[in-house]
Amino acid sequence: MSIAESIQSIGFLTQLRESALVYPIIMTTHLSCIAIFGGLILMTDMRLLGLALRSRSVTDVVGQFRIWKRIGFCVMITMGVLLASCEAEKYTPNPYFWAKMSLLVLVGVHAAIFRKSVYNSTEEIDRAPAIPARAKLAGASSLILWLSILSMGRLIGYWEPPKVTQASPTVTATAHVPR
Amino acid sequence: MFMLAYDPTTNPLNNNEWSFPLLEIIHISGFTLSIGTIAIVDFRLLGLAMKYVKPAQLLKEMAPWTLVGLVIMLISGPLIFSSDPLMYLYNESFRFKMGALLLAIIYNYTIHRMVASRDSSPGVAKVVGAISLLLWISVVAGGLFIAFY
Repeated sequence: MSIAESIQSIGFLTQLRESALVYPIIMTTHLSCIAIFGGLILMTDMRLLGLALRSRSVTDVVGQFRIWKRIGFCVMITMGVLLASCEAEKYTPNPYFWAKMSLLVLVGVHAAIFRKSVYNSTEEIDRAPAIPARAKLAGASSLILWLSILSMGRLIGYWEPPKVTQASPTVTATAHVPR
Repeated sequence: MFMLAYDPTTNPLNNNEWSFPLLEIIHISGFTLSIGTIAIVDFRLLGLAMKYVKPAQLLKEMAPWTLVGLVIMLISGPLIFSSDPLMYLYNESFRFKMGALLLAIIYNYTIHRMVASRDSSPGVAKVVGAISLLLWISVVAGGLFIAFY
């Protein structure tokens, strides 16, 4: 039994996959989190780029949104893990799934790069005469990252495994070979 | 009547691999922008974030983004619908979604706007914010369930 198969065979994951109601409800929760908490990410990025919430300081926006972004992220990840693990066999060969996972790793890299210089130095950014380039870079790259993650997430549903060559057409073909 | 004359197989959306998922991605990004910015006002009304700003100020700054998101969503949505109108029209979840969407948009530009732009009592603000979140979640849920029911 493959790893993917054994993951999705775990009792409650099998029930989840086969449930006509729970599965779409988990998907709905995942998507609602994107709609509700995604806006917080979007607006933080826009603030760093100087395009939105300009009447509020960067400190205010980053500080006030932080806890909700974290809560939203946790719910979203939990739902995502449930969705992927209950159909592990379908997800593991899917290139879009791995693209999405790699981009999520890059979100961690993004945090490691910018946490100290941007997200934890917002007062310094607010004191600067103009928004520093590093803050704009953090906002722009976060925007691109999350939009790519959203896109890859949607594309997961469109990928189909390459069809295994079936025996019958070959047989038919050989039957037509002139002797 | 126009439905009888319309053949979805002639729709360019159904004749290439990329336009449909691309439209869906645009649709999801659009509603993330609109619902997300409405939700920021709702969080304020609920007293959960941005407590140092008046809801009216926050609404004023979010409204243009909400509108941009709504426009993106209301262009991409009907295009997605055009790929298979009869399927959508007969789909219970789709009808629910349209009802919820209509309610949510009307609510957003009437009660929600009124309460957010005045100094309403915290109690009223909380109820209005919670209803707004629930309405928009129903729209998202209706949309997702189209694929299941």
